[in-house]
Amino acid sequence: MNDLSQIEKELRKLRPARPSPILFERIEEAMIDSRAVASPARQPRKPSGLRYNWLSLGFGLAAAAVLVLFAAVKMERQETGKEIAQTSREPEAAPLLNRAQKSTSTDKFVPAGATRLVYNTRDEGLQFASSSGQPLRRMRYQTHETWQWRNPTTGASLRVSYPSEEVVLIPVSGQ
Amino acid sequence: MQNLVSHEDWKSCFSEVAPGLLLFARQWVQSAADAEDVVQEAFVKFWRRNHKIENRALLYAAVRSIALDFIRRDSRRARREATAVRDTDDFSEPQFEFEDDTQRALAEAIDFLPCEQREVLVMKIWNELTFAEIAGALGISQNTAASRYRYALAALRNTLQPQ
Repeated sequence: MNDLSQIEKELRKLRPARPSPILFERIEEAMIDSRAVASPARQPRKPSGLRYNWLSLGFGLAAAAVLVLFAAVKMERQETGKEIAQTSREPEAAPLLNRAQKSTSTDKFVPAGATRLVYNTRDEGLQFASSSGQPLRRMRYQTHETWQWRNPTTGASLRVSYPSEEVVLIPVSGQ
Repeated sequence: MQNLVSHEDWKSCFSEVAPGLLLFARQWVQSAADAEDVVQEAFVKFWRRNHKIENRALLYAAVRSIALDFIRRDSRRARREATAVRDTDDFSEPQFEFEDDTQRALAEAIDFLPCEQREVLVMKIWNELTFAEIAGALGISQNTAASRYRYALAALRNTLQPQ
């Protein structure tokens, strides 16, 4: 242990080589440079913060404008939907619409229109029903029906089209 | 709350620590000029970051880190220098100011110490860091720092003991 203390003493007597005087000058220059770099960086902090605020404000305004635009488009769509529903209330489509209104009364979709296109009519001749002696003309209608619903809140629309066939018996009165 | 920024007379502060810092840097870089580059970079970085001068461990950690970066950056040059130093041993710049041959022999013995022992020795003897500070700077435990120090002293004693 004493040996180690002796070595420690001997080591402490050793003086490390001194730095060159140029090192002090170099460090002084580096510090001046770093001060010069640091000071202008601190000064424009306020303007840069202000610029950041303007940037946020700009983004905010842009987001608000986009929201307003979406709302306007949505309202326009709703109005168009109403117009379609009104214009399509033709005499033959009215009962279909009523049925649609009844069937969709539980959900939020509102009937927006219905069309029934008769693309083929065929006269299948006279026939006699078993209950009455009056002759009946059997008419077959081939149609294409289209239903439209629109959700006023979301603007979503639903459209269903399908072919249909209907047979109608028309009483024939003799003259 | 004394730090290097508020300490206007940084020169007196630096002159106190500079010889030890340079010696510490010389553990990794061969030439005195490179060691000065490393110390300059570390000291200015330490000053810029507004660290307290009492927090010396950070300063030594910065020197060590910059010195290791220096070696990595310029490994080819370092290899060339190492070869040149080995070839012309007399040309190597002394790390100490010798008063006699005993001191010269001691300095040479220090060079033969393993790197991890030598750096602890340099920090403890010529920079007067505590084992806690050394442990903080090197990222090791205080016990490890203390045992490396003791191993270094023992190795030097064994080298210098007359046969």
